[in-house]
Amino acid sequence: MMKALLTHEMGSLAKPGWRVKAYAGQPLGQADLEEARTWGERLSVPGHEELVDLLGRGPFDAGQKQEIRQWSSRYGVRFCESAGLDAVYDGEQQRSEMYAWAIAHAGGFDFRGTVRSWDNKYYSKAAVTGPISLEVPYHSEEFAYLRSVATAELKIPITGAYTLAAWSFDEYYDTDTSLAGLAAERKARRADARRRFTLDIATRLIRPNVEDLIRLGGQWIQIDEPGGSTEPDELELFVDSFNASVEGLDGTFSTHLCFSDYELFFPAIERMTGCKQFAVGFANYDTRELGTKKEDRPGYGIIDKFRDLPYRPALGLGVLDIHSDFIEPPELVRDRVLYAIEVFGDADRIHVTPDCGLRTRSWEVAYAKLVNMVEGVEMARKALGL
Amino acid sequence: LNVSTYLHGIYPRSEAVVAATRDLDRGRTTPEAVDHLYDQDLKELVQAQEEAGVDFFTDGLLRWQDLFRPILEACPGLKPGALVRWFDNNTFYRQPEVNGKLTLGTPTLEILDSGAVPQPRVATLPSPYLFSRVALAKSDPNDVMQDFAAGVLKPLARQLASDGYGLIQLQEPWVASHGIEDDDWKPFAESVGVVTDGLEATTVLHTYYGDASPWADRLRELPVDAVGFDFIHTDLDALGTEWPTGILVGCLDGRNSLIEPADHVIDFVKRAADRLEPSAIYLSVSSDLELLPQATARQKVLAMGEAGRQLKETL
Repeated sequence: MMKALLTHEMGSLAKPGWRVKAYAGQPLGQADLEEARTWGERLSVPGHEELVDLLGRGPFDAGQKQEIRQWSSRYGVRFCESAGLDAVYDGEQQRSEMYAWAIAHAGGFDFRGTVRSWDNKYYSKAAVTGPISLEVPYHSEEFAYLRSVATAELKIPITGAYTLAAWSFDEYYDTDTSLAGLAAERKARRADARRRFTLDIATRLIRPNVEDLIRLGGQWIQIDEPGGSTEPDELELFVDSFNASVEGLDGTFSTHLCFSDYELFFPAIERMTGCKQFAVGFANYDTRELGTKKEDRPGYGIIDKFRDLPYRPALGLGVLDIHSDFIEPPELVRDRVLYAIEVFGDADRIHVTPDCGLRTRSWEVAYAKLVNMVEGVEMARKALGL
Repeated sequence: LNVSTYLHGIYPRSEAVVAATRDLDRGRTTPEAVDHLYDQDLKELVQAQEEAGVDFFTDGLLRWQDLFRPILEACPGLKPGALVRWFDNNTFYRQPEVNGKLTLGTPTLEILDSGAVPQPRVATLPSPYLFSRVALAKSDPNDVMQDFAAGVLKPLARQLASDGYGLIQLQEPWVASHGIEDDDWKPFAESVGVVTDGLEATTVLHTYYGDASPWADRLRELPVDAVGFDFIHTDLDALGTEWPTGILVGCLDGRNSLIEPADHVIDFVKRAADRLEPSAIYLSVSSDLELLPQATARQKVLAMGEAGRQLKETL
């Protein structure tokens, strides 16, 4: 994991049309089969003709749907490997969505409906309604399969406790809707409820999953926390939940943060000493102009704070804006990377990633972005003589 | 004491519209099909408001992607920028970027879905202070605030008032969430005055997502008909007494899926009326309901209506 300028993806990719339709029981057209064939060839997916053949034989029973889901995973892994990434996963092809997948496999939650994330992007939001429990670890089957098909290093993304709590309604830990008492007292009551809720998720859901992944041979586990700084006064809780999830376990742990005011994470994350890498989205805030001076890279102004963390984690430098179809030229990636290395003074601590998962982009766009990212990193290596 | 109820801000879309807009983005459906579903949503929202017995009707800003987007699209000097977290919520807005003069473009702005909405109507717009603090601009934020008020909000508010909007609400979460410096109050009050002066509509400035009580003395002096408070975060007893304006009592939590029983709401509004002695009470939700699923939001609207009905009989 500690290779200089290591490249990796950040979790999710869009699901191919053939995977979505097959799973939903919808008829597949010739275009869907062609999509599977074309990408199979382009990514050199071993045995992809078998998938094309299978897709032509719908409707599908449960076993065939499972087979198609695994094919989707296989394509996802090859997508990342073929783009040239050093560490890969499957674009979360087997999961419904990063929040819904976890909650659907946990006891104590009930889904309430969809809520906007941004624009036309929504997620299914649940309420905690009872004691939280985990019947079966919900990433283990997926990981066991991916180990059998991946050739590159696997980095396992798992949604973190704080984000799961922040994205849920609370109908169990704090149920008082009256406005009796002082606002400060109500705030303290809510804070106590949130702490109990979050740490219950960390210890009853996340940690057992992480333990099982390690048992299966998982080495690098990325705790995804896009909601990490949602509540500015809960950063200590965010850190406590990360530590409660992984402390004392024998693995390499990192975290992913995005679309936040990153200043808020300091100084709280100084206590997150078990975190070996912070993968952070920056490109969304940056210009598209070339240049390696500070004024050329306004989106990366805060990276010195990550540099100065006393336990010297790596920085996963987000260089691809995942909300845009703009294909970052390799030269732009190069300049963002060179700027970060200049600030850090240590290429070993810079890894290179998209800002976040690329699931809102088409495969065509996502692939072009990743290929350019890898090329840009190579250009940076050459510029530095690495 | 006059008690009115209404809903403000962005209302959640139905599952059907959510699916249709996603399909539209992916080229799997037509704009006409999505429009039809939006119309259905609006019809159901109007029905919910009628059932609740509201005094002002909203279109729920159902087509708005965030509180600023339609305005950005209508102003040649503005454009949508980076995605930024919307205060302490898991939702994001496009940061307004100022790259020219702040004026409304032509043709005349049509940002609200007025046709099917009964009168009197309520419109929700961003407060000039909020806008100036979220916008990315090269000029001084207070200049942005004053330019936005004069060039965009003022003509827009006048147009809305002439289109049957009897109440215009300015959303001001920044003050309660992040505060405001002493020196910024004067330009803020002036900017609000530019919008409200001579406007033939009731005006409300609503603070939310935090405790606005540290600024109560300033807020009561603003040139608006009513000031709104998010009482999930604000102490009633910290607001003083003898309010010269009306008060929007935001006491149904716009971010909590639990539905407040009517007696909780009624008890609180009565306390607010006794303590603050406002010229009028506007009972509403603490913040936009867009962070709730639509079914939950509808229950909130009905709970608000039930409490409002009982309060009108007793206050």
